[in-house]
Amino acid sequence: MPPQPAAQRSASPSQPSGKGEVSDLKAQLRQLAGSRAPGTDDSKRDLFKKVISYMTVGIDVSSVFSEMVMCSATSDIVLKKMCYLYVGNYAKYNPDLALLTINFLQRDCKDEDPMIRGLALRSLCTLRVPNLVEYLVGPLGSGLKDGSSYVRMVASIGVLKLYHISASTCVDADFPALLKHLMLNDPDAQVVANCLSSLQEIWSLEANTSEEASREREALLSKPIIYYLLNKIKEFSEWSQCIVLELVSKYVPPDSSEIFDIMNLLEDRLQHANGAVVLATIKLFLQLTLSMTDVHQQVYERIKAPLLTQVSSGSPEQSFAVLSHLHLLVMRAPMLFSTDYKHFYCQYNEPFYVKKLKLEMLTAVANESNTYEIVTELCEYAANVDIPMARESIRAVGKIALQQYDVNAIVDRLLQFLEMEKDHVTAETLVLVKDLLRKYPQWSHDCIAVVGNISSKNIQEPKAKAALIWMLGEYAQDMQDAPYVLESLIENWEDEYSAEVRLHLLTSVMKCFFRRPPETQQALGAALAAGIADFHQDVHDRALFYYRLLQYDVSVAEGVVNPQKQAVSVFADIHSSEIKDRIFDEFNSLSVVYQKPTYMFTDKEYRGPFAFSEELGNLSIGVEAPETIVSSQIVDANDKDLLLSTSEKEDNKGLSNNGSAYNAPAYDGSLSLTAPQVQSDLLSLDAPLPSHPPHSSLAIDDLLGLGMSVASTPPTPPPPVLKLNAKAVLDPNTFQQKWRQLPVSVSQDASISPQGVAALTNPQSLLRHMQGHFIQCIASGGQSPSFKFFFFAQKSEDSTIFLVECIINSSTSKAHLKIKADDESSSQAFSTLFQSALSNYGMH
Amino acid sequence: MPVSASAIYFLNLRGDVLINRLYRDDVGGNMVDAFRLHIMQTKELGSCPVRQIGGCSFLYMRISNVYIVIVVSTNANVASAFKFVVEAVALFKSYFGGAFDEDAIRNNFVLIYELLDEIMDFGYPQNLSPEMLKLYITQQGVRSPFSSKPKEKIVPNATLQVTGAVGWRREGLVYKKNEVFLDIVESVNLLMSSKGSVLSCDVTGKILMKCFLSGMPDLKLGLNDKIGLEKESQLKSRPAKSGKTIELDDVTFHQCVNLTRFNTEKTVSFVPPDGEFELMKYRITEGVNLPFRVLPTIKELGQARVEVNVKVKSAFGAKMFALGVVIKIPVPKQTAKTSFQVTSGRVKYNAAINCLVWKIRKFPGQTEPTLSAEVELISTISEKKSWTRPPIQMEFQVPMFTASGLRVRFLKVWEKSGYNTVEWVRYITKAGSYEIRC
Repeated sequence: MPPQPAAQRSASPSQPSGKGEVSDLKAQLRQLAGSRAPGTDDSKRDLFKKVISYMTVGIDVSSVFSEMVMCSATSDIVLKKMCYLYVGNYAKYNPDLALLTINFLQRDCKDEDPMIRGLALRSLCTLRVPNLVEYLVGPLGSGLKDGSSYVRMVASIGVLKLYHISASTCVDADFPALLKHLMLNDPDAQVVANCLSSLQEIWSLEANTSEEASREREALLSKPIIYYLLNKIKEFSEWSQCIVLELVSKYVPPDSSEIFDIMNLLEDRLQHANGAVVLATIKLFLQLTLSMTDVHQQVYERIKAPLLTQVSSGSPEQSFAVLSHLHLLVMRAPMLFSTDYKHFYCQYNEPFYVKKLKLEMLTAVANESNTYEIVTELCEYAANVDIPMARESIRAVGKIALQQYDVNAIVDRLLQFLEMEKDHVTAETLVLVKDLLRKYPQWSHDCIAVVGNISSKNIQEPKAKAALIWMLGEYAQDMQDAPYVLESLIENWEDEYSAEVRLHLLTSVMKCFFRRPPETQQALGAALAAGIADFHQDVHDRALFYYRLLQYDVSVAEGVVNPQKQAVSVFADIHSSEIKDRIFDEFNSLSVVYQKPTYMFTDKEYRGPFAFSEELGNLSIGVEAPETIVSSQIVDANDKDLLLSTSEKEDNKGLSNNGSAYNAPAYDGSLSLTAPQVQSDLLSLDAPLPSHPPHSSLAIDDLLGLGMSVASTPPTPPPPVLKLNAKAVLDPNTFQQKWRQLPVSVSQDASISPQGVAALTNPQSLLRHMQGHFIQCIASGGQSPSFKFFFFAQKSEDSTIFLVECIINSSTSKAHLKIKADDESSSQAFSTLFQSALSNYGMH
Repeated sequence: MPVSASAIYFLNLRGDVLINRLYRDDVGGNMVDAFRLHIMQTKELGSCPVRQIGGCSFLYMRISNVYIVIVVSTNANVASAFKFVVEAVALFKSYFGGAFDEDAIRNNFVLIYELLDEIMDFGYPQNLSPEMLKLYITQQGVRSPFSSKPKEKIVPNATLQVTGAVGWRREGLVYKKNEVFLDIVESVNLLMSSKGSVLSCDVTGKILMKCFLSGMPDLKLGLNDKIGLEKESQLKSRPAKSGKTIELDDVTFHQCVNLTRFNTEKTVSFVPPDGEFELMKYRITEGVNLPFRVLPTIKELGQARVEVNVKVKSAFGAKMFALGVVIKIPVPKQTAKTSFQVTSGRVKYNAAINCLVWKIRKFPGQTEPTLSAEVELISTISEKKSWTRPPIQMEFQVPMFTASGLRVRFLKVWEKSGYNTVEWVRYITKAGSYEIRC
């Protein structure tokens, strides 16, 4: 902070110019310190005000510390408060001078006025000087027993402050026990609440080291304490009620009648004017009824009205906080809110952050009966002057289209957007039309007719351009001038800055070539030449790959680039259900606003834009990942636009073939691993692959340079012992693709030895360990206490590949495994093998 | 964990610190720089009121020309934090008497520090009730140098009061004249399509009270809401009176209202705090009487001309009237010249907001003034973008009218000394967000 300029800008109460002013103040204060003349207090006040205002703007006024202390001998309570504030601010950096203040603070702690006692005690606790804690214990002890509730209120928080300065002093003085006694017996609700806050904090921090503390922490959730607090609930202030309700939400009642008792007791809290109390009550109700499905549903119905009231009252910030929670609930149970969609309509002047949440909710609650109205409303927003808002609205329309069965009307609306002739609207719409076509190819006729009229010159955004190019390639036979449009785009190859667009251009011109060869041949040649000369590695590689593929066999190339496509049925979700549940457990906190669980934003390691994503591609590629370029390509493609990455199957296939060429000695062999239908051609096998497993594996192993050892083993003796290929190879793209296609065959929990947990401080060691068991890691991510790994292994007899997702929680020493396999019959055997390997981890 | 705020900052629009109060050591002193650098000086400012920078979360709000920023280092209760800020500002206002802005803060910064000390301790919210705090934070706004010393006598007594059983009212109040003022204030939110169909509409109402009553009075309020009437007829076993009943979607009450009694008997009974407070808030979505209907026709004639005709109908009783009616009719950005005719009120073209602003000071019920205007546009050569019309917005106040139809049936005051009270009841309906698309 630049103190000087800030100071000069400050208007109150005078214009300090730095050092001189401070020393002036010092002199004036010194003069006043001894004076007993009438009116002294008033001039002191003015001086103190000056000091405090300097302090606020960041000027260091610590040099007047001793003078301030000298002047503090006064009966004027306002003066005292200013002095306490000053002392609290600077004591930490002037521990020696702070000692001076102890005396008068201690004296004030024994004042006959409870107000002064409380203030002095509070200030004493905020000195934050470790070597002065001994002076704190006495006053705190008597403060907790003070006759005035005000002093006890201050003291109960004071204990927590002491704990933060010196935990051992606090525990040694037995303050937690005193607090507990006070919490259960004090007649004053605020004292009880403060004791509870302090105890919760102290015990949860202590619980890491002391068993007793963790027992005590559990004891807070015991029935007598919970009931004691609940019975007092109306005496508590609104803030304290939040604390109590939060605590109760962790309580697990033994039977359902108790659940109903608690809910009946607290139902009127839903009518509270404070949104935080309402949210805390909602959390409690939801948590209590988690196991009772129909009651849980009734709770949703019951909380709807109070939530909507909270949304519409208060400042935008407050309604944002409530809306975030409503958003979470709507996402969990969109059906229950489908009749309330009108509440999610946006007002013209609402801030964008509110509108965005509302749009997402509108999208979620759309069903057969309300889609028409919702889409009509969204179309209004699409015409909005506010560009981000217009974009979001169009995306919302697209999302609704993708989740509905009857998209008739929506497609028309989308196509109308294209006629609005606004660049950002056209761009967003193109991306959506592309996705729509991938799900509903039957609409291609209508869409293509409109898309065909769009001039590619008007499209600047890479995503939109890529979408248009994709459509040009995909529907080359329906679009009259597709080859010529592509040709003109290729002519401007040099000016195209986005690699994504260039990649799409290559693929599309290939597709176009297979459909209309004579018209495209020239363009294809130009594109391949430009591509091979491209400086971008991916573009270069893809061009080269296409070139060689065409050289090898045109019909094979067509199979790779332009295979039979199946429509995409479901698009991937960003968050896993596991994370969603965790956020739900942390209802009524920042987690809901950030839409990520606590550990992701409070643990240091998680901060950053790509904190932790469930998408495989975003995980850091582990040691086994062959090509970092490949990984960056995945990240690129993912980039929230899940549609692109999931759908470009033909591209991925092409790319994966390409990628694996780097880590396998024989080009053809590795290709055969990933593209079975191509493999059969390449190896000239007449019969389909599965009927000849020994033969094909022999061929593969041979190509991989492993020799004949596997093939020469005698016919498999029952029961077969699972052997893994020591040098299994799989590239990330294929992994990702397989992971998406295959069903989970084994889902199991396993435990990890304490040594293993210890060794996990370096996750790389686990990768090496598993590698020793012929299980390779392809991607890993996460930080303590939650790690996530993706492994794969290959059966040595045939090409069966096992894929494993392993989530390790080091705090509970548990691992959760999900295994997918080409051949499900052997996955159980593999699971056993994997678990035994995992249990050995950390043993040597 | 509730708020447990690590620090609170008050900044002006330039980012100068007006007040800073660090409650905990877990955030650095330079946090405010991070806020300035990453939020104030970027476009992010309006994007989200909750932001994370480094390990800290910043929850911020702008109130007039001041930013109030709460910094937390752990996972905090957002709703509680924002509510705390709102309550704190209300408290400050009650001390300064009115405005809360940069100047008020600069002039009262010692008082604010004092209050911040009391209302939050180590990041946990404490007592925020102005009623109670005023008993022991006695510095009245800016204190003139020779004003009398704070009344020290009541101080020891006050601390007992703060935490008494009825936390919101102290004992021993005496008024010569016992008066109760009750205001029903409703704001109507409307979103209407250009074709005149209601897209969404609701009323949020509050009942504000001002009590100057001696002793510990018990008040009972009866409204013409459906549930209350039904319950009453049930209890008294006589048929419900015919007439309009109002169905409240949702109600929230001030902490003084006995909620158990509301839930069993459906009557609003309470021991009121002294002075001003908000008794209840409610929301209604069914059966809203819209005070105004707006019928716009806006035609774009070619590239350079727009014709605007707006008719506004008042739908409330002929004896009533609306005050301060403002109708903002959007016109294109490139407006060059406007000419207009109105049957009532005055019109101005406001270029800053691209609107024709039509003001009618007094608007009687059952009338329909009209505005017809012609707007000439600057013709630009490459202006192919069509004009996206923002909605027409309306402001108004209609005294003695409630859009919901809610009425006070009775307000009973009972105190053991049995004094007489004078009750005053007022109604007013204001425009919330009243938008008509055109």
